[in-house]
Amino acid sequence: MSERITSTMIAGTTLADINAALNGMQRSESELASGKSIQQPSDNPYGASRAIELQSTIDGMSSYAAGAQDGISWTQTASSALSNINEVGQRVRELLVQASNGVNNPIDRTAIAEEVDQLTATVKQDANTQYAGQYVFSGTLTATPPYKAGAEDEYQGNAGQITRTIGPGASVAINTNISSLLGNGQGSGDGKLLDTLRTISQHLRSGVPAEEAALGSTDLKNLDSNLQALTTMQAGAGAVTSQMRVAASRIEDLQITAAKALSSTQDADLAKVSVAYSSEQAAYNAALRAGASIVQTSLLDFLH
Amino acid sequence: MPIPTLQGLQTALSGLIASQEAIDTTGHNITNANTPGYSRQTAVLQTNMPLPIAAMSPLTGAGGQMGTGVSVTTFTRIRNSYLDAQYRTQNAALGSASTQTNELQQAQSAFDEPSTSGISSQLSAFWSSWSSLANSPSSEAAREGVISKGAQLATTLNQLSSQIATVSAQATQQYASITGPTGEVRDAANQIAQLNHQIQLSEQAGQQPNDLLDHRDQLLDKLSTLANVTVTKAPNGTDTVSFGDAAQPLVEGTTVNWPQALTKAAGGQLGALLGLSSPTGALASYTTALDEVAGALAGTVNALHTSTPFFTGTTAATIKVAVTPTAVQTSSTAAPGGNDVAQAIAALRGGAADRRYAGLIAQVGSDVQTALDNQSTSQAVVSAIGNQRQSVSGVSLDEEMTNLISFQRGYQASARTLTVMDQMLETLIEHTGMAGL
Repeated sequence: MSERITSTMIAGTTLADINAALNGMQRSESELASGKSIQQPSDNPYGASRAIELQSTIDGMSSYAAGAQDGISWTQTASSALSNINEVGQRVRELLVQASNGVNNPIDRTAIAEEVDQLTATVKQDANTQYAGQYVFSGTLTATPPYKAGAEDEYQGNAGQITRTIGPGASVAINTNISSLLGNGQGSGDGKLLDTLRTISQHLRSGVPAEEAALGSTDLKNLDSNLQALTTMQAGAGAVTSQMRVAASRIEDLQITAAKALSSTQDADLAKVSVAYSSEQAAYNAALRAGASIVQTSLLDFLH
Repeated sequence: MPIPTLQGLQTALSGLIASQEAIDTTGHNITNANTPGYSRQTAVLQTNMPLPIAAMSPLTGAGGQMGTGVSVTTFTRIRNSYLDAQYRTQNAALGSASTQTNELQQAQSAFDEPSTSGISSQLSAFWSSWSSLANSPSSEAAREGVISKGAQLATTLNQLSSQIATVSAQATQQYASITGPTGEVRDAANQIAQLNHQIQLSEQAGQQPNDLLDHRDQLLDKLSTLANVTVTKAPNGTDTVSFGDAAQPLVEGTTVNWPQALTKAAGGQLGALLGLSSPTGALASYTTALDEVAGALAGTVNALHTSTPFFTGTTAATIKVAVTPTAVQTSSTAAPGGNDVAQAIAALRGGAADRRYAGLIAQVGSDVQTALDNQSTSQAVVSAIGNQRQSVSGVSLDEEMTNLISFQRGYQASARTLTVMDQMLETLIEHTGMAGL
């Protein structure tokens, strides 16, 4: 015996089918509207958890990129200060050569000494360069200027390193220890640039023949070796800048890759969803039409 | 033995009465076509006791039996109790799955993932704020940023923990309200006990109380959503109802044993509610996992922030930021430009707290997914069995209309028989009696 079919069964089944079609449509509609295939973790538990991790990775990369950009600005500030110091050094060297050729009288020498003193002050000013309110050459004592104005030449900073994180577990020291170039002044006799400049100024004014003779020999040699160290230091700062640049562009690439991975994890395939949506719409319409025409008729319609 | 003269009238009358009763039954079916829980009824027709007629045959002397018409012996309802038992088993599974789905979905929405306001985004923003601080360790704004992101994260953890506790508390409350003195269980049990009494009386009187039976079956269906129901039919017509894993039958004859203790093995909505709110249930495991996230967060950050603990509290409900902007430690030294601590904390991104949280989201998601799958499977099975029951017990209007016509014709034909009998008697009385007058 075939199954008895009652109108309640037909009504129930039709309603369930219409509901199912409507559910599918609602699902596709919200995917289309939000552009996301994962609306809730239950849509794709692994995908949702992966999306969370990828989003954090992307945010982390933005932090690394910010660190690298900040590092680039820092080292560029430092580099430009160092090239200023280099220009000053070259000028002192010219003056020194001029003073040591023996044709200058004491007044000329004093004038040159005046200029050397001015240039020494300039060097200290350059060493006190700030980036975003921080002294770039003070080690980690960024609130303290590395050199005081005036005659005292002692380094006020420390040897601390300032680093920027440019990747997971990758950090780069961005600061330059300027005391290894400028030293602690004449008092310390360390032969660094400030010591050399103060000594040159002293020899220019002294009038003692031996000291005047030193201008062209020892002093010039010391200055040259200081300038050599400066060039090395400039090269180092430049290398850090370019390392940061490379890191920044690599982070950008990684960010794009991670963003793609995130998109393929959580974004809706709009073409696919659109096609699914239209077929669900067709199914819904068909269910409605069929329901309307089936449930209507019964034997009652044909009896008189 | 001669045939009684008026027997034919009686026979025709029995046909009229039976047809009328059958038409009444059909009418009852039609009017109840959409009544929930109604089982279609039929009038059971049977031939009347025949009239023995002796010595009809001149050859053998054997007699015969003459039919005396029809009568309705009883009205039965068409019902398959095997399908009822199956339906109730599946209905309990559906009740359980639906409740699980509802409650877990509430918990899932509390997590609000994936979004830009959930804990994952706030964790990420917290780590980013430490990166910013590492880039400008002496900046007041960056310190404020770390504090505000940390406080926001802690507050969200507090809220989420309390939201999950609320879902669990609501489950407990719902259980208490369903099983309470004015709850659905007691209400249905009382009605079943009362129906048991009435059904017993009717059956003692030899009647089949179809509509009372339907009503009782409908109450049992309703109970089966709440927990597993097993029905044992007693010979006197009463139902003994075992409910969930209660020690005593919920209803036995006219006695109701309620309240009784249930466990999560009770099945149905009540079993699911007990399971969800139990200390080993899904909601408790979410709270534990959130506590682990909070613990890992506080533990790893505080281990690096050595000057003073950054977070106090190690559970999701109690965690909060314990430092002021000036007390935020950026470096292991006092130097204002030092950033080693800030960098180390920023590097905690993707660490224990993040991983535990992502794992928790995967767990919540797959719990809800499983519950949804169970629900749709149970729903499909319940619908299929419901349809089978409808196929047996449901009223088909086409069928009823057909019956109506055939009983109507039967009634008309019986009436015609009566007319013929009347004419015969008229012949006998009016015309044969004139002889000799």
